[in-house]
Amino acid sequence: MAALAASGPVALRRTASRSVAFVRKIPWTAASSQLREHFAQFGRIKRCILPFDKETGFHRGMGWVQFSSEEELQNALQQESHIIDGVKCLKSQPTIGS
Amino acid sequence: MAALLRPARWLLRAGAAPRLTLSLRLLAGGPGRPHAVSYLPAARARPVAGGLLGPARLYVIAAEEKDIQEESTFSYRRITSQFDWALMRLDNSVRRTGRIPKTLLQKVFDNTCSSGGLGSNQALLLLRSCGSLLPEVKLEERTEFAHRIWDKLQELGAVYDVSHYNALLKVYLQNEYKFSQTDFLAKMEEANIQPNRVTYQRLIASYCNVGDIEGASKILGFMKTKDLPITEAVFDSLITGHARAGDMENAKNILTVMREAGIEPGPDTYLALLNAYAEKGDIDHVKQTLEKVEKSELYLMDRDLFQIIFSFAKAGYPQYVSEILEKVSRERRYIPDAMNLILLLVTEKLEDTALQILLACPVSKEDGLSDFGNFFLRHCVTMNTPVEKLTDYCKKLKQVQMHSSPLQFTLSCALRDNKTDLAKDLMKAMEEEGFPIRTHYFWPLLVGHQKEKNVQGIIEVLKGMQELGVHPNQDTYIDYVIPCFDSVLSARAVLEENGCLPDSDVFSQAALRTEAIKGNLDYILSFLKSNTSPLSLQSLRNSLLLGFRRSMNIDLWSKITELLYKDQRYCQKPPGPTEAVGYFLYNLIDSMSDSEVQAKEERLRQYFHQLKEMNFKIPENIYKGIRNLLDSYHVPELIKDAHMLIDNENLSSRKTMQLSSSKLESTIEILKAENQPIRDVLKQLILALCLEENMQKALEVKAKYESDMVIAGYAALINLCCRHDNPEEALNLKEELDRLDSSAVLDTNKYVALVKVLAKHGKLQDAINILKEMKEKDVLIKDSTVLSFFHILNGAALRGEIETVKQLHEAIVTLGIAKPSTNISFPLVTVYLEKDDLPAALEVAIDCYEKYKVLPRIHDILCKLIEKGETDLIQKAMDFVSQEQGEMMMLYDLFFAFLQTGNYKEAKKIIETPGIRARPARLQWFCDRCITSNQVETLEKLVELTQKLFECDRDQMYYSLLKLYKVNGDWQKADAVWNKMQEENVIPREKTLRLLAEILKDGNQEVPFDVPELWYEDEKLSLDSLLNSSASDARFQNDILKACRLKQSKEAYNLFLKAKQQNVVFTAETYNDLLKLLLSKEHFTQAMEVKNFAETHIKGFTLNDAANSFLIITQVRRDYLKEALTTLKTALDQQQTPFQLAVTRLIQALAMKGDVENIEAVQKMVNGLEDSIGLSRMVFINNIALAQIKNNNIDAAIENIENMLTSENQVMEPQYFGLGYLFRKVLEEQLQPAVEKISIMAERLANQFAIYKPVTDFFLQLVEAGKVDDARALLQRCGAIAEQTSILLVFFIRNSRKPGKASTLKSLSELIPELNEKEEAYNSLMKSYASERDVTSAKALYEHLTAKNIKLNDLFLKHYSFLLKSAGEPVPFTEPPETFEFYAQQIKESKENSS
Repeated sequence: MAALAASGPVALRRTASRSVAFVRKIPWTAASSQLREHFAQFGRIKRCILPFDKETGFHRGMGWVQFSSEEELQNALQQESHIIDGVKCLKSQPTIGS
Repeated sequence: MAALLRPARWLLRAGAAPRLTLSLRLLAGGPGRPHAVSYLPAARARPVAGGLLGPARLYVIAAEEKDIQEESTFSYRRITSQFDWALMRLDNSVRRTGRIPKTLLQKVFDNTCSSGGLGSNQALLLLRSCGSLLPEVKLEERTEFAHRIWDKLQELGAVYDVSHYNALLKVYLQNEYKFSQTDFLAKMEEANIQPNRVTYQRLIASYCNVGDIEGASKILGFMKTKDLPITEAVFDSLITGHARAGDMENAKNILTVMREAGIEPGPDTYLALLNAYAEKGDIDHVKQTLEKVEKSELYLMDRDLFQIIFSFAKAGYPQYVSEILEKVSRERRYIPDAMNLILLLVTEKLEDTALQILLACPVSKEDGLSDFGNFFLRHCVTMNTPVEKLTDYCKKLKQVQMHSSPLQFTLSCALRDNKTDLAKDLMKAMEEEGFPIRTHYFWPLLVGHQKEKNVQGIIEVLKGMQELGVHPNQDTYIDYVIPCFDSVLSARAVLEENGCLPDSDVFSQAALRTEAIKGNLDYILSFLKSNTSPLSLQSLRNSLLLGFRRSMNIDLWSKITELLYKDQRYCQKPPGPTEAVGYFLYNLIDSMSDSEVQAKEERLRQYFHQLKEMNFKIPENIYKGIRNLLDSYHVPELIKDAHMLIDNENLSSRKTMQLSSSKLESTIEILKAENQPIRDVLKQLILALCLEENMQKALEVKAKYESDMVIAGYAALINLCCRHDNPEEALNLKEELDRLDSSAVLDTNKYVALVKVLAKHGKLQDAINILKEMKEKDVLIKDSTVLSFFHILNGAALRGEIETVKQLHEAIVTLGIAKPSTNISFPLVTVYLEKDDLPAALEVAIDCYEKYKVLPRIHDILCKLIEKGETDLIQKAMDFVSQEQGEMMMLYDLFFAFLQTGNYKEAKKIIETPGIRARPARLQWFCDRCITSNQVETLEKLVELTQKLFECDRDQMYYSLLKLYKVNGDWQKADAVWNKMQEENVIPREKTLRLLAEILKDGNQEVPFDVPELWYEDEKLSLDSLLNSSASDARFQNDILKACRLKQSKEAYNLFLKAKQQNVVFTAETYNDLLKLLLSKEHFTQAMEVKNFAETHIKGFTLNDAANSFLIITQVRRDYLKEALTTLKTALDQQQTPFQLAVTRLIQALAMKGDVENIEAVQKMVNGLEDSIGLSRMVFINNIALAQIKNNNIDAAIENIENMLTSENQVMEPQYFGLGYLFRKVLEEQLQPAVEKISIMAERLANQFAIYKPVTDFFLQLVEAGKVDDARALLQRCGAIAEQTSILLVFFIRNSRKPGKASTLKSLSELIPELNEKEEAYNSLMKSYASERDVTSAKALYEHLTAKNIKLNDLFLKHYSFLLKSAGEPVPFTEPPETFEFYAQQIKESKENSS
């Protein structure tokens, strides 16, 4: 998963900040705004990326959410399950920069 | 139909109903032939029994057949591996799910076709998969697929036998395909294939399936005349046959007939009967029969019951399904079987029954989150189930909590299948449920139309969105709508026309971003200027960055930046423009690759300067980020340009000054006098002295200020003493250090140095104590440390110090500093081999094996034993190896030793030992050994002798041989290998072909085969192809770049011409690459054509640095000096840095023309850039002088040079004032008067001004030109030349790298014999002799040096021994074991350490 995150969006690659959550199994019905909406309850979202596959028009179910602080990220990670559009997503903190 | 839903029955039953039952059933053949089956071989008997049984069975049969094939032949290997793959894929699927997805079968089929290699077993495998294993495919489609496979494979050369025909029949049965049995038999006859019992059984079944008892009877009669046994399967078919003919009485009667014939009805018999009742809707009889079965010992499985369910449903009696469903016991395989039934029901449009089965599935519903039923919904969508039904199913699934979001899932299926209407209806249903419809739901639909550029389709989707009240956002337009149109303008027009553009602002901004991505900055600028509506920079920024990178126009960059970050419309929010523009710059550079930044360095510089002029500032922390980026991209020159933009000017500038030792010393005295602490300064002083390698002084200083010494000082001092080979002082210092702080730990290298110097001077116990300390203090042991220990041991071994080697080795291994290994134990044997004490060497090796399980140098020992003919010892060694490591290892050891010693006959005998097989690792070891020591003959013999070796990877062997030929540049032998491989029927791997092609190309030979191309993808390229609207353009570009990369100039140029014809324009970089290639191959005219095309088709196209440099070189070569000058000027005007070679060539060409003026012009042009180009001032001095001499202006030239060397403010330090080029040219061109005058000048400078560089250079040029007598005379006149050691040694080293210079170096060493004893000189000489195979001179040199008792280094010895060996002469010492590179590196490192 770390590898997935590391090959992720350019801007996140070099940011020293580690407050990025890597989210998997995002339901297809959610776009980045729904992702942002959901995670906004844990803190200010600096960046939220959910890449779409332009060959299919669907996203690949993986996204990255960057919080403005480590603390906010921890808030999000501590929550046991994240349910977006009624579907349970899996999240993890990628080991960026470590 | 009988076994449609029970693929694995035979396998499952195999345990419960063993063969016995089976053969009992078979006994009831026809009257009078009770034992017919026993004549058949077992393998054939099984398919008979499984005639109507499950399809999973076929994999077992296929696998068996594969085994047989593998045993019989080897040439099928490739085919079988392909087969293995196919079998694995299909088998996995069947085992997991009991079915094969159609896509998987298609994939395996395609793969089989494209791989070409086709075994008949593969054909069988594919055919057999086309029946009931495809529940998702309609029956007719399955048969169609089977026919397609049949025809295609036949076309590809598959040979069909009776098993294939039988498989096809089976598929027909499972798919209820109606066909003419007589035609089928005729077809078989035509193909000259005899039908067998299975064929007849299946034909009977096919008649029965349509209720044709008459047809079945005909075949049955035929079977009887042929004395073929009648099995249970035939009776089962007859039940179906009678039932379908409407004669239930007779169907039922078959059971009695069976019993009469001695065959007990089995489960399949009852199942046939049950299905027959179910098809009539006769639930009562079904129930009765089931009860009967339950009472008997027979047992029906769930999948059997499923089949009855299917029969009811299919015959139109779904009302009875639930009654059967109750009887299902839910065995372990229940779910996959149920899924297959559900899929089959949906395929047959019996969705309601399917749902009924689905809802009866036992699924955990606890958390309400795990969804079940996706497969059902997906298949319903595929089979076009009406939307009303679908929404109803969704509701039900949700109600029973089987699925949490069935509608959403169904919608995604509809979207994937591009079913617009269904999707719209489903969205409406979702909305009714309160679930919002989102913009991106429409993207998959748009993608479908976009791929086909179907504008009408796009419009319809957009209208659909309007209808549902969804507004397209920017991304919708950019990614999915606009790409469908030729331009943004036409997109807008069409959308407006169709009333699909309610919110023009969104579209405008999307258009803006689209244009930005394309690099259309003009559009951006004019839009930004005229725009009045609010604009989100956030969303625009990324597109803009891409656009910047695609545009060359820096003015536009700046203007846009100015607008965005200065204009009130766009920039008002905090944190203010400073930060914002800083981030923008950072992101811009960050988004570029390093090569891109390098290529655009000058543009970025201009951009930074323009920003500066516009008074832009960036915060320092962002500047730092940019600086780090630029640094990591290797464009540090840009940093200063970025630095100008810093907002805050207070930069802390701290300069660290390196103080000289003398200064430090006086500082200490002052401090001491002032009674101040001196520790720090003392440490610095010690370090400085160590750096100066002044051991004496350093020790004195230490003694003087001993009380103030710190650990670091001691550490450096100890190391210094080790370097200076002074073990006593080193030990003293170590003791002092221990007194100061017994816990102090030195770093690993210093310990190693200590051990080394102590061991060298026989202080064995001290060395071992140091090793112990290393262990106690847990010093970090790296691989390189172990290697150093090896060298210490090996050094001692070569010096013949048995005790040192033994004890040190013992200490190192027992302390655990190094793990026992062949390498570390190597010197233990070496020390005896050096002394030619073979018994002891063998003894030690065996001892090592007993102690550490390693067998060092066994190969070398064996070789020596063979050479000396020590048969007893050989026997002993072999017995030992064979006992400890096995006979095979022993044989290999012996084989290699015989090969190595040239005893090929004996080697051949060994490798032909029956039962020996290839050991790839060992063979590779010997190959590599031969390659590194360049033993061509030995390797050739190895390859030859292993030809028949069992399982030998011939390709790999030839690959090794080619590697060696490549080293030696021997294309003739490589070509012979190519023929040999064909003769031997070796199929070369791609890497072998590539290597062969390289060798042939290097030898300027034509390559007689297709060279497999390397897969290659450039980062830049993938970006370009992303941005390129047309995929074919990208492919073109891809091809041409690949051709450039592979240096295929003709190919690349042809691609260019083709692209030109089709009006395809590449990126500027591509043209530059192409130009570089063409120019480097001297295709001047073609290059000019490319240049013209690029200049006329790409706005602002310019050649980059490299292309311009190549252009200059080519122009110079063609003597277009004027043009070359212009090119240079253009390049410099564009702030490019041309290659040094290009500028030098131009200057030299001008000099030869005597064109002083233009040389000076060039000098002016490049003024200030000399360092970045790498141009020495001497180039100008030499060439101006040469030009003057060419113009007969010798005096002026000489006066100039003298002035420069003798004047007050020297242009250049005299020791760097190299005039070699001038001298050489003058000598080469035989400009006699000039030679004389130059000689006089050089001597004058030496004698009167003590400037010896010119006279030495001149002397060396005379030697190089072969004018040895002149050189000697000059040397006699000016003896100081012999003292210019550093110049002379540099000459040695440089020339030893060039081929054919041995004679020059030899004459030089004869002229100045004292040079011979310098390490650099004799190393270089030996290297030259070795490369020119001059054994005599090498011997003389070696003897001269050994006579003088000079300790020769390993590199020298390596070169010498290599030379001797290649000349077939004995080597009078042990050849250093490592590679040349290793020893060269060793010398380099020891120099670095001591300097």
